[in-house]
Amino acid sequence: MKRPVLRALRWFPGHPALAGAGPFVLLVAVWALVVELEIYPRAFFPGPLDVLRVFGSLVYKGILPTYLQDSVTRLAVGAAAGMVVGIPLGLLIGLHPASYRFFWPLIIFFQAIGDIAWLPILLIWFGFTLTTMTFVIVYTVIFPMIFNAALGVRTVPVEMVRAAQSLGASRWRILAEVLIPGALPNIITGLRNGLGYGWRALIAAEIIVGTSGIGFMMFDARRSGSVVEMILGMIVLGILWYVVDAGILRPAERVTIERWGLVRQAP
Amino acid sequence: MDGLVIRDLSKTYYDIYAGEHVAAVEGVSLEIGVGEFVAILGPSGCGKTTLLNMVAGFIPPTHGEILLNGRRILGPGPDRGVVFQSFALFPWKTVLDNVGFGLKMRGVPREERDRVAREYIALVGLEGFEHRYPHELSGGMQQRVGVARVLANHPDLMLMDEPFASVDAQTRMTLQEELTRIWEARQPTILFVTHDVEEAVFLANRVTVLTPRPGRVRETVAVDLPRPRTWRHLIEDPVFKGLVARVLALVRTPAA
Repeated sequence: MKRPVLRALRWFPGHPALAGAGPFVLLVAVWALVVELEIYPRAFFPGPLDVLRVFGSLVYKGILPTYLQDSVTRLAVGAAAGMVVGIPLGLLIGLHPASYRFFWPLIIFFQAIGDIAWLPILLIWFGFTLTTMTFVIVYTVIFPMIFNAALGVRTVPVEMVRAAQSLGASRWRILAEVLIPGALPNIITGLRNGLGYGWRALIAAEIIVGTSGIGFMMFDARRSGSVVEMILGMIVLGILWYVVDAGILRPAERVTIERWGLVRQAP
Repeated sequence: MDGLVIRDLSKTYYDIYAGEHVAAVEGVSLEIGVGEFVAILGPSGCGKTTLLNMVAGFIPPTHGEILLNGRRILGPGPDRGVVFQSFALFPWKTVLDNVGFGLKMRGVPREERDRVAREYIALVGLEGFEHRYPHELSGGMQQRVGVARVLANHPDLMLMDEPFASVDAQTRMTLQEELTRIWEARQPTILFVTHDVEEAVFLANRVTVLTPRPGRVRETVAVDLPRPRTWRHLIEDPVFKGLVARVLALVRTPAA
């Protein structure tokens, strides 16, 4: 009986999702203090407890879980599609000079047309639909994926490729066994940036397309003047990203690039 | 003829900064019989690594040809294993998987290639490190992996490009002794490139000295020292010292 408890205690403060809670305790305390001093009217600047109360009520009504699920699903679908297209395209551009010459100008051109700049025309083409939102997210995710995958394969030392050639590896085996693992630090950076940008693009798209989701909830709250819901939305966004980072990205880094000594271990 | 035959090999580069053609290797002819250990010796920039890279098939020669067991070399292949100065191990693979890489590329099943890999890991003295990753090993240990990775693939020719230049002096002497021991036990054909005169004489049966850029064959010196060779026995050996002095003179004085 004693050991699981000890293990749980050791796990609790050390878990990456909770290790960073300290600064937030302070931040919430300062927030509560400023609210209690009543410098600003409560309706404009609600406190932590007000937000917690609205959180409870929106969870109870089922609105928050549904919206959260909608937003996360949109991001996951968009990010997956962005990876499936972006990583191979990045590898191709990084390895194949003719592809580089063909795609590079196009990529630079379309990168300049930001995700939001597509929204007017997308609304005409696809209306207020999931297609519009998915397009925006894929569009945002794909550029950092391409750039980082292309950079990654070019950072693999030429001697590592030569070693594989001299051990009888075919071109495809070199890609799978040497170039992709070697590019992984950059591919993970691309994923991190892509997901981060995608998350922001999604909220913007939800505000404009506006049918459901966290972004919709926040924008919709302006009609009822519910500042507390807007703050709740902001907090949810922050926490969700923190969970994605600590729950998916960091563990992925630990078992790959940190384990292999390709990057120094995070402090 | 079996073994390696290099005929009138030249390599000219276009130097984009200087805006002119530069000859790195010029008219090199060389033969290495099966089971021979030949060292190519020359000062920095004499084109000895360029020569090795052409034999490995990494870069094409400008002129001349290279034959291995009668077949013309047109690109890299598993018949020529390369040990690099920078080790060039795969950081995402364990010692076992690095050493078994060549066998994996040939489609050898896991069990068999692990068995062979373990044999060569033992040969280079790394038992117990099979499941470590390269970054967890010292430089000397990493290069032992580099040697085992090539030997496990049974190449016809082993190419070594200053393989011990980036480890400390004590480790280097140990690795040199280990390499002579392995060569005596297995008799792989080795082309060993170095700028270290004592290393060349200690290891090889023949030392071919190149001239400064462009690299031409200056002279080949036979090394008839008895084996097994150890530094403890050779460091004060008059024959060894005489050979070193002779080769050093060839490296340092310009050709007549």
